[in-house]
Amino acid sequence: MPEPSRSDDGGAAESVDEGTAESVDGRTTESGGELATDGGSVSGVDGRVSGLTTYLRERPRLRTLAIAGPPYGLLVVFFAIPLLAMLVVSFQADQIGGAWTLRNYTDFLTSDTYLTVVWRTFLISVQVTAIVAAVGYALAYSIVRFSRRTTLLLLLVILPFWTSYIIRMYAWINILQSDGVLDSVLNLVGLPALSLLYTDTAVLIGFTYVWLPLAVLPFYASLTNLDGDLIEASKDLGAGPIRTFLSVTLPMTVNGVVTGVVLVFIPTFGSFITPRLLGGTNNVMIGMVIENQFKSAFNWPFGAAIGMVISVVVVALLLLATRLGGGLFGTGGEES
Amino acid sequence: MRKVTDGSPSLKRRRFLQGAATTGVAAAAGCLGGDGGSDRVPMDVTEWPPEDLESNLNMWNWYDSWAEYAIDAFGEEFDVEVTNSGYSSADQWYSQLQAGNDEIDNIAATTNWVERSIENDFLHELPVDVMPAWENISDRIKEASSYQQDGSVYGIPEALVLYPLTYNDEYFDSAPDSWGVLWDEEHEGDLCMWDNATVSCQIAALYTGQDPIQPDDYDEIEEVLIQQKPLLQTYWGDYQQGMSLFVNEDVVAGPLTMGRTYTARFQEGAPVHYTAPQEGAMYTSDLFVIPQGAPNPIASLQFTNWASETENAAQLFETMGYQPAVDISDELSEEDAEFTNWPDEWDLVFSETLSDEVRSRYDEIWTAVKAA
Repeated sequence: MPEPSRSDDGGAAESVDEGTAESVDGRTTESGGELATDGGSVSGVDGRVSGLTTYLRERPRLRTLAIAGPPYGLLVVFFAIPLLAMLVVSFQADQIGGAWTLRNYTDFLTSDTYLTVVWRTFLISVQVTAIVAAVGYALAYSIVRFSRRTTLLLLLVILPFWTSYIIRMYAWINILQSDGVLDSVLNLVGLPALSLLYTDTAVLIGFTYVWLPLAVLPFYASLTNLDGDLIEASKDLGAGPIRTFLSVTLPMTVNGVVTGVVLVFIPTFGSFITPRLLGGTNNVMIGMVIENQFKSAFNWPFGAAIGMVISVVVVALLLLATRLGGGLFGTGGEES
Repeated sequence: MRKVTDGSPSLKRRRFLQGAATTGVAAAAGCLGGDGGSDRVPMDVTEWPPEDLESNLNMWNWYDSWAEYAIDAFGEEFDVEVTNSGYSSADQWYSQLQAGNDEIDNIAATTNWVERSIENDFLHELPVDVMPAWENISDRIKEASSYQQDGSVYGIPEALVLYPLTYNDEYFDSAPDSWGVLWDEEHEGDLCMWDNATVSCQIAALYTGQDPIQPDDYDEIEEVLIQQKPLLQTYWGDYQQGMSLFVNEDVVAGPLTMGRTYTARFQEGAPVHYTAPQEGAMYTSDLFVIPQGAPNPIASLQFTNWASETENAAQLFETMGYQPAVDISDELSEEDAEFTNWPDEWDLVFSETLSDEVRSRYDEIWTAVKAA
């Protein structure tokens, strides 16, 4: 009986072969390309796995398909097809199955009202993204550079995700409302009440709180990969803290920054709960308009058309950000 | 030492394949709309009480507290296991009906969604002629609700939903007699509106003397709503949020449902009451319906009748503050009876389902107002 071969790149699979061949009583049979031993079903399964592995190794295209097929299949079934259905509906008049029309798009793109809402949504999203990026970067930087309890701090950062989004918004209502927690604390220290609820500031606070973990995690990942010696080298060469940050730290972590920015900007652009619960009479966002089309106006094709336009806008911004960042989900800055 | 067990893996593989095939067939049957429940339909019931109730009932009712009462009371009386799925928006159950219902037995549904469901043949017809509690439904709501088609009845009214003007009764000496209070600069910053295109536009229509179902001057509606914006603290978009505005006394007047006003007044101790201004106020109804595909349709029919009995209907008011569709005046305390009393002089307008054009215009106006 030849000794099973062993290669460096197939350790696990070859080990199975070895285990199968060296059965307890030394008897090994081979039938139909499958090894059957004293091991009974376990060894039989191992043998088949081994055979399958070998089979796939010899067919790289099939192997790629086996690995990538399921996730791509899921994407097609649960993302591409629904998106396609939405696209089709967006060209129908008044209701699903209605006559074909471009009116939904022309109505939206030629309406000052809707374009104003889109512009306001863009401005709010930019403000939220800028605030979250600044706060999140400072937080991630301090965790990486100045703290030893990084795991605990990261846990605290993601802790809010364990609570429902709406409950978190209601918590902010209690904090920001007139005579709420914030006003009470301010009065306690002799400062005037702010009554922030139902203002633009309340919306920004709510968004910042909700999306901060989405930014901190990629920022943290990119900062962790930053070589501290480069910062020391910069200082040795005479650069001050600000110049070191601008010429070394930030460029080396730009991929993480872009990832965080995208992860914050996109969901903010489509939000409707936060502005509805915390905002005043002027806080209308395009997500709220889309929601209305489906839940009260019953004009699903128009809602689908707005959704498609917004998707295109967001994807365009995503591509732009990718180009600026030099790679969306990279965590280090070596490529930039 | 392990034994050689030739054939064992094959046997297991066969069993596995058999199991997988069985599971697949079962799943496919489920996807293809197997109802998995009773073959009977409500119209099979020709005598009351119906016999051989199913042992389960799955209802979707957004009057949570009343549903808790119903689960115990109905369950004990008829030996039926009752469950309830509370929901916050009608599209949640409607999408289930669109996908082919095989789970929901009974829904408390708002009138306009009932109409949509009837048009799409999502509901069972109900044998109201043999249902004793049908007689309890007040004539006004029987005539107003649009739950019938071609002589067939598809729902039993559960509650009357009034969209009144709610006000702080310590701030105002008497109930405001006009929607104009929401445009009064004297109350600037202490007013709110409902972030709902239909409700808010209909209030504006009433305020400007127009027909809220078929207005003739949309520009005027938009104009007055824009004029109103600086006077408001906010547009509330969630019932709890709207009630909190009054409970915390952040606002002194605005639209709120009767049920939330009741909760604010009697459970939260807030100084609030409601009225229908002289220009009129809108009201609609929620109805019990039995969707096609309901696995327990006869138990659901029995439940629908039971819920419309006076004693059980009165519980809806006592737990939630919503006016049941049956006359419950004999069941209430003096204080509650006063709260439920809708004076005859109130001009109440049934909220008929809007035409596509009006609904679309209201939505455009409301978006424009919020963007202004």
